[in-house]
Amino acid sequence: MSYYDIDSILTDAQKLPCTFELEVPGLGILEGNPGENIKAGTKIDLPLWLGEMLSIGSGLGTSRLVTLDLPSALSERVINALKADPRSVDLRSLAPHFYSLSERTLELFEEEEMVDVLINTFKKRAEEIADHAHNPKGALGEGVEFLQGLDETERQLFRVAHDSAKAMRIWSGEAKKK
Amino acid sequence: MAFPLPRGITPPEIAFLGEMEMVTILPRQRLEGLELLGGPVEPLIPPRRASMPLWLALLLKRQRRANILPPSWLHPEPLSFILDIETQNEDYQHTFSPPPRLPGQPSFRDRDEIANPRPQFTMDGDRYYPSSPFLPQNVAQESVPVGEPPALPYHWLEVGTMLLDAASDDLVDPDQIRRLLKELREVRMAKFRAGIDALDAAAMGGGGVALTGVGAMEVGEGRGFVTGVVNGLRKIGASKEQARREQMAEEMANGEYDGTQDEDYMDF
Repeated sequence: MSYYDIDSILTDAQKLPCTFELEVPGLGILEGNPGENIKAGTKIDLPLWLGEMLSIGSGLGTSRLVTLDLPSALSERVINALKADPRSVDLRSLAPHFYSLSERTLELFEEEEMVDVLINTFKKRAEEIADHAHNPKGALGEGVEFLQGLDETERQLFRVAHDSAKAMRIWSGEAKKK
Repeated sequence: MAFPLPRGITPPEIAFLGEMEMVTILPRQRLEGLELLGGPVEPLIPPRRASMPLWLALLLKRQRRANILPPSWLHPEPLSFILDIETQNEDYQHTFSPPPRLPGQPSFRDRDEIANPRPQFTMDGDRYYPSSPFLPQNVAQESVPVGEPPALPYHWLEVGTMLLDAASDDLVDPDQIRRLLKELREVRMAKFRAGIDALDAAAMGGGGVALTGVGAMEVGEGRGFVTGVVNGLRKIGASKEQARREQMAEEMANGEYDGTQDEDYMDF
């Protein structure tokens, strides 16, 4: 996770629902009314990096500025769907960086069960990805729908698996080098 | 980022390493001994057999100066025997067929014996235990030792493919061999893939996937994907792992730790 890692920057920009506990003067711009105050109890989606920073204050003895909620991509509905069938969920439409987002979220929340569900999801989908990557037809076969639902981490995985399978085929002379 | 190749080594590079394997040839012309960086090559006097690295053997074969004697495992019968082990044998449903015996390792029949490797000595008198590629796993053998089942060496796919390419007329029934190699490869790749299920155990410490007998090319092909999966699992499980470690540290501090809960922690 380097400073210049574009995926980690994009993960930082994903939205997290936050509830303001205090009235903040002049921050209404976040809500879309510049110049106004933000009232206590307002719910706003803030980027991960901002929400994380604002919620940290609780550790310093002062009352915390915002409380965080689970992002919609990790809501109970999604987790239940993943429990039922990991392969049929379109992770990309939930969040383009689904796994990075959940990784960061799990640092903030204690969710033992969610970890297990996500690990199982990742495993099951990784098997599927491996199958599609080794299929010489690649992404053009019947798996288009599944492959379009891959998040960024999974896309990289697919790419790596596909490239190594392709390199093997080129070496063994089954495929032409392009 | 600027380096265009993926991490690990590419198939041509693995094949290059596989060319170091010693094979047996039957020279057709005389050749004086060669002093190569990788070691001397004995003088070639037809019709005496000689061992030499695969790359040189392939070179001589292409120039029609020698015939290559196929390794003892590269025949239809041993290959179909191995394929049977891979597909039919209950013990090897999830693992690869056993690799060739290392020197000093008890043979397959009496595997309860304790391994007693016989060391070899360098010219300086240092002890070492040879391993592939310094073991003659690909030379043609006059007679297969009794009780020694055929086994695939580390570079089986590379050596097999290269010999099929360049010296198919020296092999017994090359089409059959080609088909068997392809089948073996598919069976073993399926096993490799099935190992993903066990990978989370490997990522969380303890557990793992048995890769005994895996080939160089298979490692090379699986490397990117497997490391990617393990990395992803590690990241998702990071918070759980953190909690586990904290709990363990707490137990250690309270003196409740009795060493049975987590064995890999004992190694430190």
